[in-house]
Amino acid sequence: MISLHPKQVRTRLTFWYVLVLAGVLCIFVAGASIVLVWQMRSQIDRQVVQDLETVEGLFYFSGDGILHFNDDYHNHPESKAVQERLLEVLSPDGEILFKNDLLGSRTIGGAPFQGEGVAGYSQRSERMADGTRVILASRVHTMQDRPVLLRVAFSEEPIWTRLKQMLVIFFFAMPLALAAAAYGGYKMAGRVLDPISVMTERARQITSERLAERLPVENGDDELGRLAEVFNGMLARIEISFDQLRRFTSDASHELRTPLAAIRSVGEVGLQKKATEEEYRDMIGSMLEEVNRLTSLVESLLTLSRADAGQLKLQVSVFPVMELMRDAVNLLEVLIEEKKLTFTLTGDDALLVRGDRLFLRQAVINVIHNAVKFTPAGGAIAISVSRDGDSKAVLSVTDSGPGIPAEHSTMVFDRFYRADPARSGENKGSGLGLSIARWAVQANGGGIGFSNPPGGGCTFWIRLPLALEAPAH
Amino acid sequence: MNILIVEDEDKVANAVRRGLEPEGYSVAVARTGEEGFFLVSNQNYDLLILDVMLPGRDGVEILTAVRKRDLTVPVLFLTSKDAVEDRVRGLDAGADDYLVKPFAFSELLARVRALTRRSHRTESVSSLKLADLEMDVTGHFVRRQDRELVLTAREFDLLEYLLRHQGRIVSREMLARDVWKENERHTPLDNVIDVHIARLRRKVDEPFQLKLLHTIRGVGFVLRADPS
Repeated sequence: MISLHPKQVRTRLTFWYVLVLAGVLCIFVAGASIVLVWQMRSQIDRQVVQDLETVEGLFYFSGDGILHFNDDYHNHPESKAVQERLLEVLSPDGEILFKNDLLGSRTIGGAPFQGEGVAGYSQRSERMADGTRVILASRVHTMQDRPVLLRVAFSEEPIWTRLKQMLVIFFFAMPLALAAAAYGGYKMAGRVLDPISVMTERARQITSERLAERLPVENGDDELGRLAEVFNGMLARIEISFDQLRRFTSDASHELRTPLAAIRSVGEVGLQKKATEEEYRDMIGSMLEEVNRLTSLVESLLTLSRADAGQLKLQVSVFPVMELMRDAVNLLEVLIEEKKLTFTLTGDDALLVRGDRLFLRQAVINVIHNAVKFTPAGGAIAISVSRDGDSKAVLSVTDSGPGIPAEHSTMVFDRFYRADPARSGENKGSGLGLSIARWAVQANGGGIGFSNPPGGGCTFWIRLPLALEAPAH
Repeated sequence: MNILIVEDEDKVANAVRRGLEPEGYSVAVARTGEEGFFLVSNQNYDLLILDVMLPGRDGVEILTAVRKRDLTVPVLFLTSKDAVEDRVRGLDAGADDYLVKPFAFSELLARVRALTRRSHRTESVSSLKLADLEMDVTGHFVRRQDRELVLTAREFDLLEYLLRHQGRIVSREMLARDVWKENERHTPLDNVIDVHIARLRRKVDEPFQLKLLHTIRGVGFVLRADPS
């Protein structure tokens, strides 16, 4: 039993294909039948009239008033027109004067109706008493001053016989044609859908462990080729984010494990031997320090993951960049003073930027804090704000620290990157500051980067979109 | 003062109770929302500490039911950082304050103090004193042993805050929020706080025999005359 909704596209395609073809064939057969019937009928019509014309001249009355038919006239008595003709002659009052042999005891049209055959041919289709449908033509003919009504008829039988023959041929030929079409269609659909099966099979094998696999592209120009290319593009993106996620997860678990290990060992060692209250306080304090580290790490991770998920909503406003810089510098001033750094902040107070002020403030704070951290005591930090082209403001923070080694340049903004891994313990940084800064700047339509100027040190820059109109109040 | 803690995590509930009892509060603990609701409807409490994540009915549902009964007991609810929605729902449902887990105990203590005090308002003190340290808040003037201490504006705010919380531990979170008015604690800010504390100590303690400003390792800072 063929279901109307087979599972395979291939079967479904073939099914519909055959169904449509069958429909088309049926319409064709119906049309052909109509044309056939119409054509044969008009042929018989002509034949009837023509024959009536011929027959008219062949009747004569003999002296005793009996109507005779001159049969010898025909050169070809075997012609169908002669053999199948039904012929009848009536007097105006309906008396039958002549019938041919084929007609026998039947009559063609019964009593003549009023005006039959008077003005031209009276042509019609009629059913005889025995059920035979005929096409007949009648005409009044004046023969030796006596009017007679001549009727010639031909059976419609040949039309229906021919039609039946045609239908029988179709009846047997159509399943054959449909079977051929189904076979061809199935093969064709199979050929077209083959790449999909291959893609399906290949896609099934692609798992998170084997994201490097790609779907085969047979022809990049057709629809399936494009589909495969789109899939491959998607796979490439997934692979990249999977890699990032994997690295991030392993880094994060490492970062979390470090304080956990510290808490555990401090606790275990503390319980091993009796200690003074002072020592116990110290141990608990040390454990709490690690807990704080864990807490702030988890919070930073949460912020970043919310940022990644697009859950952090930006509160965009327009404000002067210098205000933002002064605000950040104001907070960090004590750290700069403490290290006795030479510090300058220069820039154009008129420059307005558009963005989320809180996030951008955090980004600027993290970048400046980074510079302060890596500049040795007595060094210098210079911050400048300037216009970059028509649409950007560029903030640069230059320090006189050791600079960033070229081989680290791609990792600086990565999560958990630290310039000096050995220092991570005492230096409390989470390794997330610059990565958070990068997120904040990029989310606000800006860019962030750094360069090592020739004179030594390091310059971090942040590019932000300028707001061209005045801030709305 | 009677406090009811509705918290399903035994360790947290017991730690909070053990921390609050020495401060003079009598503390009851409910493990489920239903139990908490039953207790709060039948007994008089001065404060309800409500965890949002509870088995069965969650904290916000309990809070809504409590407020529906016209119970005006102050409510402090505990939530986790990743659920911003909870915070909004809790405050909408009629909570007076919230605290994000994991919280510093000193922070909880400060909130509890503020909430239980709310009914009988504290008068704003214009003069603060600890041992030989005196601060005139309105006159912006600090003196120790008849010697004037010259403080920056930030150092003054910091010392005022410590003086107002004298004898109690103040965490970095509290300083970040209340003195620096930062909505989030972050590494640069921690460093800034540490530097300010160091500078304040230099001015307030260094020249004197009796040390007042103490660092409690891993917890925060405390201003007190008693060295322990």
